[in-house]
Amino acid sequence: MKPLRLLILLLLVLGAQPVFAEDSLLSPETMNYIGYGTVIVALIVVIISMLLVLKAVKLVTAALADAADPAAATLTVEEKVARKKAVRKDKWIRLWSLKPLSEEHTLIMEGEYDGIKELDNPTPAWFMYLFYATIAFGIGYLLVYHVFKTAPLQYEEYNIEVAQAAKEKAALLAKTGAAVDEKTVKLSTDPTVLSSGKQVFVSRCSPCHGAAGQGIIGPNLTDDYWLHGNKIADIFKTIKYGINTMPSWEKLLSPKEISDVSNYVKSIHGTNPPNPKAPQGVKVTD
Amino acid sequence: MQPEKFYYDNKIVRNFGIASVIWGIIGMLVGLLIAVQLYSPGVNMHNQYTTFGRIRPLHTNAVIFAFVGNAIFMGIYYSLQRLMKARMFSDVLSKIHFWGWQLIIVSAVITLPMGFTTSHEYAELEWPIDILITIVWVVFGINMFGTIIKRRERHIYVAVWFYIATFVTIAVLHIVNSVEIPVTFWKSYMVYAGVQDALVQWWYGHNAVAFFLTTPYLGMMYYFLPKMANRPIYSYKLSILHFWALIFIYIWAGPHHLLYTTLPGWAQSLGVVFSVMLIAPSWGGMINGLLTLRGAWDKVRDDVTLKFMVVGLTAYGMATFEGPMLSLKQVNAIGHFTDWIIAHVHVGALGWNGFLTFAILYWVIPRIYKTELYSKKWASFHFWIGTLGILFYAVPMYWAGFTQGLMWKEFTPEGLLKYPNFLETTLRIIPMYIMRSVGGAMYLAGVIVMAVNLYKTAVQGKLVANEAAEAMPLEKLNPHANTERWHRRLETKPILFMVIALVVILIGTFVELMPTLTISSNIPTIASVKPYTPLELQGRDLYIREGCANCHSQTIRPFRSETERYGEYSKAGEFVYDHPFLWGSKRIGPDLQREGGKYGNSWHYNHLMDPRLMSPGSIMPEYSWLISQKLDTSTTAAKIRAMQTIGVPYPAGYDKIANQDLVKQAQGIADNLATDHIKVNSNKEIVAIIAYLQRLGTDIKANKTANN
Repeated sequence: MKPLRLLILLLLVLGAQPVFAEDSLLSPETMNYIGYGTVIVALIVVIISMLLVLKAVKLVTAALADAADPAAATLTVEEKVARKKAVRKDKWIRLWSLKPLSEEHTLIMEGEYDGIKELDNPTPAWFMYLFYATIAFGIGYLLVYHVFKTAPLQYEEYNIEVAQAAKEKAALLAKTGAAVDEKTVKLSTDPTVLSSGKQVFVSRCSPCHGAAGQGIIGPNLTDDYWLHGNKIADIFKTIKYGINTMPSWEKLLSPKEISDVSNYVKSIHGTNPPNPKAPQGVKVTD
Repeated sequence: MQPEKFYYDNKIVRNFGIASVIWGIIGMLVGLLIAVQLYSPGVNMHNQYTTFGRIRPLHTNAVIFAFVGNAIFMGIYYSLQRLMKARMFSDVLSKIHFWGWQLIIVSAVITLPMGFTTSHEYAELEWPIDILITIVWVVFGINMFGTIIKRRERHIYVAVWFYIATFVTIAVLHIVNSVEIPVTFWKSYMVYAGVQDALVQWWYGHNAVAFFLTTPYLGMMYYFLPKMANRPIYSYKLSILHFWALIFIYIWAGPHHLLYTTLPGWAQSLGVVFSVMLIAPSWGGMINGLLTLRGAWDKVRDDVTLKFMVVGLTAYGMATFEGPMLSLKQVNAIGHFTDWIIAHVHVGALGWNGFLTFAILYWVIPRIYKTELYSKKWASFHFWIGTLGILFYAVPMYWAGFTQGLMWKEFTPEGLLKYPNFLETTLRIIPMYIMRSVGGAMYLAGVIVMAVNLYKTAVQGKLVANEAAEAMPLEKLNPHANTERWHRRLETKPILFMVIALVVILIGTFVELMPTLTISSNIPTIASVKPYTPLELQGRDLYIREGCANCHSQTIRPFRSETERYGEYSKAGEFVYDHPFLWGSKRIGPDLQREGGKYGNSWHYNHLMDPRLMSPGSIMPEYSWLISQKLDTSTTAAKIRAMQTIGVPYPAGYDKIANQDLVKQAQGIADNLATDHIKVNSNKEIVAIIAYLQRLGTDIKANKTANN
């Protein structure tokens, strides 16, 4: 029966088309937290399982030591403790399906291979539970994602994540007022704006435009010649969207940063730095 | 009946052992060299033959196929003869196997730094070497089965089951993953493209781990551990269960390397669930090993070989638990492309493969030289510095992986990436890279001490090249009189055993590969995706030659953090002309799938000439040779024809005029560079690679600029 069911399941999975369900129970954030949680839990499980192995080994050794000591128990206060320990030990032994080493000779199987013998021990009980549990997980996973489709596959997850982010962004804008764009950007000579703009310029723009804006790969920004306009809105737009060899900075800088650096560029006009690049574009005089 | 006298061949065991140690040291040295390049790129000596992208495959191939490979053959040749109570089938085949394998390795050492690569991870070697590998592997198979058939032991022991599974599965993997069409003697194209090629490659890649790094070592564990501890194997039932479960389930798990890519969702999910189901079968080997030591733990305290075995088995247990966890998509979303994976594989490679190899060497070499180990103290030192080395390697890499993986995903409240500049996340983990190389150096130091120790051991003893042994010949049994249980009966029929193992591994193979390779709806095509121009194709081959895919992925996962950083997520139809696929598996640098048009030609020129001009602090090497070397256009026609053969729709006869288009496009780029005062001849390699980079991802890229 089992193989047949597995086969049917496999066929179902193979036939299933990735149809997107409407809604998800888990937000991307929860998914993230689940991810972090899993990482931590996984690491803890590794440590615990190693400790378990160690403990099992210790107990087995202890059991051997006890066996060597025949007349152990008389009734004392410690009797209870000892009995408790024995029960715990017993549980351990059962979980591992271990037999005392003294009975090992009854388990030795016929035949040997270059002197290696084999024991007829059963597979440890917990090992079998683990195996069945992972198989159950596997079947459940396929059912959830591909048969009942109650959890999102990757493209649906993406749509949820993006929608969630858009909602959050809208909420933030509602609280703080509209962000700057090329239509609302204003010329400013405020020193805090310019110093913030200068910081952006040094880290982002100087590789191509030079530390002083004299131009290297990109054009000289201090002369009177402009390729894409010298108005604050033009500069903002060029930085935001990029053009030809100029990359787009929309995803790398916040609107405020673009506005600040645009103002900084305006502020260095006419500074005549050393080693200027030859003029490019058309001469614009305000 | 009289017992028969015969001799074990110890010389072949010794030879594989020496080869394993020597190649191990070389492979690890190369590993150290590339580890240092990650924080000090100048260590490549500004030489193309010693630069990261070309010698990272050399490191992986040397440690997997040379260090581990030779160790496998050492272990198999030693244990198989004794388990079968027979000398190896043919001394000539043994010699051909040994020297053939070394020839393969030497050819890898020469061709990989020269940039001859298929770019399939752990299968980088070009087609002539692939053929050589096939021949040598068949020689090994004949030699192994010949020995099994002339055995004097009725049943084949569990170790040999694993050897049989190794032989037959590696043969299947190697052949299917090497279906390539030769262009020149050192250049070929994969027959599969894009998603299909990726699936085949990771079906192969994952099972190279399974059947080259795992099953032969489990087999060796089953022989050497009970011998070392002088204890019986804990559970024969467990051996049967975990052997068959392991080989059946392992073969399905490959797609977990491709989660969140354009691989169909059902294939991804199969990869996930079969990986999780692998935990118990993998642990079966560890449990059977550790419980075999039951009653012998006092020996572990004193015996360094057993210490190596115990730590090796524990590392195996950790790695085989971590693997399934990393296969869960929620964990994979953070761990994939980061150093977490590097930590994971090194726990397996250094702990499991390395330590088991060392234990076997320390045990076998004194025995075949009829002497004692030269210095137990040195061996003990090796154990401790090796263990510390693994910790110093793995812990920083885990830390680096978590840090970078989380930084890539972090957003500001305004909805922008917190670290939009990829380089910032790299610079954060440079200290971890430095610590990692210290850990690696410690591990290597231990191996060198071992080499000296083993050399001194060999010198003080004398090799017993032919060790006398005797055993009763096998009597003919009446097959009908055999009343043994079914598996015991199967253990008397090695060929049937091999056939069943083959069937078992083929089930997962067919279910996963066949629908993806044959059903076109699994790869929806996109009309705007066109074949590469001749110049772009040549540029792509340079990208492959330089091993760019070792550091740069070309697959954007459907995460907001990736679409914000790199652009629109990847579509299966975009890769249909990618022979081979170049998705990569690690992001040391940013993804490049939508690199086209992001920067100007001059940016790329300067960046390739010296990455630090454009990105201060970058750890990318300089590619000055691309500027000085002339592009070889004599291969263009052959390349176009090869592509046509495997279904890329270039017009008929295009091969004859392809170079005209190539020259035209190259001139355009050179002219464009000239406007930025960069003077470069259009026939240089750099022009081709810029053409390729500018093409990347543009077929469906929304072209939003200030112009529109």
